[in-house]
Amino acid sequence: MIDKNIDQLKRLKLRKNAEMRLKVYGILSISLALIMLSTLMISIGLSGYSALQQAYVKLEINVDSKKVLDEKGGFSNQKALLVNWDGIVSNSFITNFPEITKRSEKRSLRALMSSNAGYELRQYFQKNPDDLDENITIWLSASDDFDQYMKGRFNTSVDEKDRRLSNQQLKWIDFLAMEKISKLKFNTSFFVNADSREPESAGILGAVVGSTLTLTITILFALPLAVMASVYLEYFAKPGRLTDFIEVNINNLAAIPSIVFGLLGLSVFLGFFGLPRSAPLVGGLCLGLMTIPTIIIASRASIRAVPPSIKDAALALGASRMQAALHHVLPLAAPGILTGTIIGMAQALGETAPLLMIGMVAFIIETPDSFTSAATAMPVQIFMWSDSAERAFYERSSLAILFLVGFLIIMNSLAVFLRRKFEKKW
Amino acid sequence: MVDKKNNLKFKTKNVSVFYGSKQAINKISLDIEEKQITALIGPSGCGKSTFLRCLNRMNDVISNCSVNGKILLDGNNIYSDEIDPVLLRAKVGMVFQKPNPFPKSIFENIAYGPRIHGIGNNRAELTDLVHHSLEQAGLIDEVKDRLDDIATGLSGGQQQRICIARAIAVNPDVILMDEPCSALDPIATAKIEELMSSLSKSYTIIIVTHSMQQAGRVSQKTAFFHMGDLIEYGETPKIFTQPDQQKTQDYITGRFG
Repeated sequence: MIDKNIDQLKRLKLRKNAEMRLKVYGILSISLALIMLSTLMISIGLSGYSALQQAYVKLEINVDSKKVLDEKGGFSNQKALLVNWDGIVSNSFITNFPEITKRSEKRSLRALMSSNAGYELRQYFQKNPDDLDENITIWLSASDDFDQYMKGRFNTSVDEKDRRLSNQQLKWIDFLAMEKISKLKFNTSFFVNADSREPESAGILGAVVGSTLTLTITILFALPLAVMASVYLEYFAKPGRLTDFIEVNINNLAAIPSIVFGLLGLSVFLGFFGLPRSAPLVGGLCLGLMTIPTIIIASRASIRAVPPSIKDAALALGASRMQAALHHVLPLAAPGILTGTIIGMAQALGETAPLLMIGMVAFIIETPDSFTSAATAMPVQIFMWSDSAERAFYERSSLAILFLVGFLIIMNSLAVFLRRKFEKKW
Repeated sequence: MVDKKNNLKFKTKNVSVFYGSKQAINKISLDIEEKQITALIGPSGCGKSTFLRCLNRMNDVISNCSVNGKILLDGNNIYSDEIDPVLLRAKVGMVFQKPNPFPKSIFENIAYGPRIHGIGNNRAELTDLVHHSLEQAGLIDEVKDRLDDIATGLSGGQQQRICIARAIAVNPDVILMDEPCSALDPIATAKIEELMSSLSKSYTIIIVTHSMQQAGRVSQKTAFFHMGDLIEYGETPKIFTQPDQQKTQDYITGRFG
């Protein structure tokens, strides 16, 4: 039995209260963070989910094969250039409204189809030349305003003359929707296209490929350099002024605003080495420079966390310093290095500023196919879309943000998974 | 009775070690005989571990450490430029205070040394070598069925014997032991001591120990260090029964330390 006097009991109570308070503060701050995060994600999600669908219009079309096929019966690009695809689309579209005869009305009716619909039609026949001369039914993209109206994102309370769609046009859309001639369908073009001036044909694929190519360069460039640098600093560098100086500077590098690395890339990679503009190669090198300090700091910490007894054991067996580092210390430090690397990569994935400096902010409608072809990256794509006037780009940039966040979550989970997998138990 | 003179393995002359400006040991001259167990005893911080680490140049790893004097291994100065510490350490193995097996399989632990020195080029030779080393370390019966298990999963005593087997595997002449039993229980300690006695038939063993009983049990020769100086060096029974120096007498009777 422990004797307690009143004084002790009082102090015990105070201590317990303090502990309780600390716990409550902790829970409060965590819930606040969670609320903020979920508000952010929900608001982006709500504005972005509708970009998963896109308004399409059903058209009945018959194209004469003589206009597009060459003598051998293959699709001729030269002949196809001369075909008025847009005209075919609008003529077919206008047949839905036989009562309309005035030119001005026809023009505003035509404006409801995407200006890329003719191109889509051409692409279709290029892929399916057998359908020429047949009466086919095809779904082609409607214009972005049409699309927004069908999704209920078109503000009709604005005065008619300030709107992009007139009351007449809205009536036509209502009619098409009622007759099931136009429908919201899954937005495939968002996932298979690169950027476009028309929101209905703009897609994220170009940016995803651009980011992937860029990050490939980043990791190939940054990881070996950073790991070698940290092994050198931990195992070979003689302590002294120079080593201290290097160490301080590496820590400073990690804190340098990323746009500075863009300026460096502009003057060194583009200016001095003359590498191509807007290329994932240069973007990757810039982001690599930015990531190196992060990986060095993480690698040194995890190398230092390996018990020195392991190094001693290897050295005492007659291993050289390099052998001790490569055979024993690095494998044990690998999970930490990996985590640092993936965190650095995630940081690089979300980085816009350095890419702006080296021209990866260009409008590029082709999905990049090499490390030197012009490309853009996901955050830059979001930046460009959110800068566009069309309402339909707004939901697309939200969806692209969700995409980017999804990528980050995948990368971070990979980091956690790899760390769990390679962590050795002592 | 013929005075049996053993060959000398190590000859050290005026060895001093400095950590920066701090002197750790002062002009130690000590000759170590072949195929015997020599114990280094003394209170904490007396420089016995420092001296031990000079013998395989493990002090080189410590950046501000400098070693003066001469250390001859079989007549060759180990601190001369011609001697590569990497090759020296293959001749002079070391076992540390805390068992430090690599977090790899038992087999890989033993096979690592031979591999980096190019001993045992094929799998069969290597397997033989691993078995032989484990046998010498008296561990073969305990682990022969689980050579692929992670060595860090063994008990402390077994881990330490893995470390000894690992040192033996590169076929050294000398094994340095830096308080090899201080992290072990009495039963494991007894096993290691037994092992040392049997190993001393083929290897020269130098052991640093805090336990005077241990020095008395296993060693043929004992050196007593105090404050960086070698106070007394001689046959173990003599050091423990009639030491020449008063300090030695005080230490072994427990008056300080």
